[in-house]
Amino acid sequence: MSSLIQARGLSKRFGSQVALDRVDFDVKHGRIVGLIGPNGAGKTTALRAVLGLTSYDGQLEVLGREPFRERARLMEEASFIADVAVLPSWLSVDHAIELVGGVHPRFRASRARTLLAGAGIAGGRRMRELSKGMKTMVHLALTMAIDARLLVLDEPTLGLDILARRGFYDALLNDYMDDTRTILITTHQVEEVENLLTDVLFIDKGRIVLDCSMQDIATRYAAITVADETLAAARAERPFYERPLLGKRILYFEQPNFERLAALGNVSTPSVADLFVAKLSRGASA
Amino acid sequence: MNTYVWLVKREFWENRTVWIIPAAIVALLTLASLFGQIEGSVFDTAERVRSIVGMMFLFFAAMSLYSYWYLLDCLYTDRRDQSVLFWKSLPISDTDTVLSKLFFALVAIPLVYFAAADAASLLAAFVLSVRAHSLLGNALWQPDVWLQLQALWIYIIVTTGIWYLPVTGWLLLVSAWARRAVMLWSVLPPLAVMLAERLFVGTHVVSRAIGGRLFGYASSAFNDQTYNFAGGWPQNQFAGSPPVWRILDPWGFLSSPATWIGALVGAALIAAAIQLRMRRSDH
Repeated sequence: MSSLIQARGLSKRFGSQVALDRVDFDVKHGRIVGLIGPNGAGKTTALRAVLGLTSYDGQLEVLGREPFRERARLMEEASFIADVAVLPSWLSVDHAIELVGGVHPRFRASRARTLLAGAGIAGGRRMRELSKGMKTMVHLALTMAIDARLLVLDEPTLGLDILARRGFYDALLNDYMDDTRTILITTHQVEEVENLLTDVLFIDKGRIVLDCSMQDIATRYAAITVADETLAAARAERPFYERPLLGKRILYFEQPNFERLAALGNVSTPSVADLFVAKLSRGASA
Repeated sequence: MNTYVWLVKREFWENRTVWIIPAAIVALLTLASLFGQIEGSVFDTAERVRSIVGMMFLFFAAMSLYSYWYLLDCLYTDRRDQSVLFWKSLPISDTDTVLSKLFFALVAIPLVYFAAADAASLLAAFVLSVRAHSLLGNALWQPDVWLQLQALWIYIIVTTGIWYLPVTGWLLLVSAWARRAVMLWSVLPPLAVMLAERLFVGTHVVSRAIGGRLFGYASSAFNDQTYNFAGGWPQNQFAGSPPVWRILDPWGFLSSPATWIGALVGAALIAAAIQLRMRRSDH
């Protein structure tokens, strides 16, 4: 499997503030990778570097190109929606389809129209006349009609209600995703994308703190819920994080001895959201 | 090439005021000729020429203001409303984007105003001739005068485009750079530099350069001997055979170092605007 994105020593600083600190990561062909981190962790900077929207230090190759120097060429094969991106208010839906079709070699107008008809959005309307949720749907339809090898989504469902969000992820998985595509996605709604992802990248304070496939999470991480009597024995197994839950405590382990843990309490695989909290609060409360 | 066609189309979709303003001026001038007083002037060639040239200046002034606004706005609004990220998700380089806006400002806008000025002059001529009960054929000015004015327009579009390239480049740079208050940023830095030079160095090099650029166009593109702005339009310029060539000074304009130094400065500023456009996609 080849890497669509390969970052080595990727760094970016704004004045004295370090946004990305010598980050290494790979996104391989055919994966759906979640880039997850708290606000200000460097997520957006990393995505911007990948998309050629910002200059950077270190090495970065996306689809065999250098993103900052070759953004226009890169965008023929990659597409993205940034969380804050809005469609120009003066643009009508029809004109948007015409325009993207005119400049994008891999855009299929018929597909965009099908998606928009499904969402009940008329072509003659201007963006300023649409609700926030509808605008997002138009943007998603335009993006999903591009036959891109790499799709980057930065908080794609922000502002959508729960029905539209579910609809979007269903369409993404069932209609869009196939073996020619790779998706890199960031979101705060970790629970929502958990079942979608094949890999997770946790980023915190400009560094990658976890780079793991979803399958490996089950073999590398474990959580057990223990009552007071077994707590000391469980702590002896060196958890990296623990938190109280309904009078008991949940302890999180990396590369544990599963047999010994099973003797102490109920062993489970932590959810991505739990793992995220555990990993990032480590310093604070272990 | 195809991309450029779409980029220019996009500018026309976004800036519909490019039609509305000249159309409004045409309508006003036509109304004025409908209800204004007619004096003997319709039969007086010199008077006609003066009024048609006045009309041209009106369109030209409106166009200059509009272009100033357009250049300051064109790389700024999409950063302000964040739609820049949508544009950057398309396979269009920042160089192409900036050049398409330059094309719109230097070619598309002038041609629209040119067409509007022609429409206004023909409509006014028609209305006035009907009101003066003269023959229609006689009324459409003299064809040679009209043709000379077309040549004059084209000459002005080309020469102002080159002469004001440093101003154009500066406005694009401000538009690509400023986070707010583009109008203020377009004027304050040059003023500050001029003032600082005067106060701390005691010379006037910068103010002379800027002043010479802003007000030196007419003397650089037109022949001083027969024409100057202060003296108004010479009475009988259009009486003889092609006198418009006596006013224009294309060789003087093209051979003047000021023209090409300005063009180089303009090109450098435009290149800087492209670099900023690449780097500054955040607000």
